[in-house]
Amino acid sequence: MEFAAPEIAGQAIPGQFVMIGLGLPGEPGLFLPRPMSIAQAEGERLGLLIRIFGAGSRRLTALEVGERALLLGPLGSFFDLGSATRVLCVAGGVGLAPFLFLPRWAERHAPGNRVHLVYGERTASAVFDPGRIHELAGVEPEIWTEDGAMGRMGRVTDRLDVARVDLVLGCGPVPMLKTLQAQIAGTGVPAQFSVEERMGCGVGTCVGCVVAVEDGGRGWRYERICVEGPVFSAERLRWSI
Amino acid sequence: MVDLGQTVLGVEFQNPILLASGCCGYGEEYAGLIALDELGGLVTKAVTREPRIGNPPPRVSETPAGMINAIGLANVGLERFRREKLPWLRENLRRAYVLVNVAGWTVEDFVHVVRGLDDAEGFLAYELDASCPNVERGAEFATDEALLGQLVRSVRAATQRPIVVKLSPQVPDIGRFAEICETEGADGVSTINTFPGLLIDVERRRPIIGNVTGGISGPAIRPMGVYATWCAARRVRIPVIGIGGISGAADALEYMLAGAPLVQIGTALFVDPEVVCQTLEGLRAYGERHGVHRLADLVGALEA
Ligand SMILES: Cc1cc2nc3c(=O)[nH]c(=O)nc-3n(C[C@H](O)[C@H](O)[C@H](O)COP(=O)(O)OP(=O)(O)OC[C@H]3O[C@@H](n4cnc5c(N)ncnc54)[C@H](O)[C@@H]3O)c2cc1C
Ligand SMILES: Cc1cc2nc3c(=O)[nH]c(=O)nc-3n(C[C@H](O)[C@H](O)[C@H](O)COP(=O)(O)O)c2cc1C
Ligand code: FES
Repeated sequence: MEFAAPEIAGQAIPGQFVMIGLGLPGEPGLFLPRPMSIAQAEGERLGLLIRIFGAGSRRLTALEVGERALLLGPLGSFFDLGSATRVLCVAGGVGLAPFLFLPRWAERHAPGNRVHLVYGERTASAVFDPGRIHELAGVEPEIWTEDGAMGRMGRVTDRLDVARVDLVLGCGPVPMLKTLQAQIAGTGVPAQFSVEERMGCGVGTCVGCVVAVEDGGRGWRYERICVEGPVFSAERLRWSI
Repeated sequence: MVDLGQTVLGVEFQNPILLASGCCGYGEEYAGLIALDELGGLVTKAVTREPRIGNPPPRVSETPAGMINAIGLANVGLERFRREKLPWLRENLRRAYVLVNVAGWTVEDFVHVVRGLDDAEGFLAYELDASCPNVERGAEFATDEALLGQLVRSVRAATQRPIVVKLSPQVPDIGRFAEICETEGADGVSTINTFPGLLIDVERRRPIIGNVTGGISGPAIRPMGVYATWCAARRVRIPVIGIGGISGAADALEYMLAGAPLVQIGTALFVDPEVVCQTLEGLRAYGERHGVHRLADLVGALEA
């Protein structure tokens, strides 16, 4: 979905998100705004990839041209490409969203990168049109489906080769990220994951959106996904305790 | 011009709008989005004796016309609050007043925090969170008459600053609890904290919130908040601060008509931080439309 949001689009960096809602008084099923990864930022236009899950996302995807939504952003941390030149992006489901934005952004801001996108869904019917992905992201995705009806059969993490990359970026369901975390551990390849949790404010005030992370050798602590995240260095993530 | 000012707790608030505890962090987090110094004031996140990591996630979720939360009083603790958060508030809020929300498990916990902050600058008063539903034994103070009396008496003995006691809606007669606060020397009460609630994911047959139960806030609780405010305000002479589901000027006015000179906005900030500006504009517009020059004249003006 596309929104005219020049201020957000102008500042957005891949990995960041917006809070999108209907404002006050809200509607049944959509009172609190929802966090959504920025999936495109071109000129004045902001693109989001929203999967229908419950009432909130159903209402948001039913927005019609000309209707208004309230957007707050860009929020949170972002994927830091550093000096990496070979970047592997691993997307599970709607975790594809930030990777529709990242390759072209990288081309513009850190030229010389080679981005490889691996994208998996449970079933072929859920796969976001590969042609559209190519068009938006500028890269050819490697697609995996568990039913094998499109692309390769299995999961994105089944045959990952991290040996020839400098950086792994992940966004998707927690089980996928945990598997990825285990695969990368010990290889020396740095990784960054975008993680999700239910949010209230999106800006750090309510302390609602926490995830357990390593606390510099002193055990763990909770950090706010909306401020310290949503992108965390993979080895820090302890998930829930 | 409509005068929005309210003289409460011994000072002149430039308007009746405060931000509610737990919904505006320590102010700083909203500084880029809300003109904080244009407010009547704000109430900080609860400060406890020791830092607290809070409850396991998920901690928040949407509910019909509102939300549920079980943050578990996650906060930086007395020492860091004093060292890191209070100086920012002192520097940045010159006209808006700060109330420090204090929470604890024993009377001694509350007294410890109050004594630890009392000589610091940057705030006007304490709001005692006698009613947090999200920690074990949290709401005990606000549901046990003897305990509440003891709490207020002990804190009263520890400070000259104004004390506001935040009450729980989970009592049959909230007016009685307000009276106890008044008798024991409190300078005000605030009504209400969240209602305990439980949200279940039927597919997984599990609670949605990590803490199992949480507190319900937002528009869904507004009529109960207005009712509690009205009940309390009729029984005490100390000011009653109205809280619960305020999302605009009309909502704030309900509380004011029910007897609250000040109100707090919480959950609505998450939906749209501009609710604050809009509410202030709406109050001015109401005053003009009704020929009310001093908003203070509306406090308790409900005709019933
Ligand atoms: C940083 C971040 C980025 C996200 N990016 C996207 C994206 O690009 N596209 C997309 O489709 N979704 C994204 N999500 C999830 C999205 O915010 C919705 O919450 C999720 O789609 C739930 O759908 P709903 O609102 O219809 O659920 P409802 O049933 O209406 O939601 C009820 C409550 O559950 C919360 N909730 C339920 N599941 C999640 C979840 N997985 N994450 C956070 N909150 C949840 C909702 O916020 C709400 O409070 C993102 C979440 C985060 C934290
Ligand atoms: C996320 C969240 C955190 C809260 N934390 C506190 C707190 O630390 N201390 C307190 O006294 N009340 C706390 N509250 C209660 C609010 O201050 C307020 O009483 C309640 O939410 C009702 O108002 P509202 O409907 O405008 O949100 C919290 C509420 C929310 C939603
Ligand atoms: S959503 Fe409120 S702190 Fe992150």
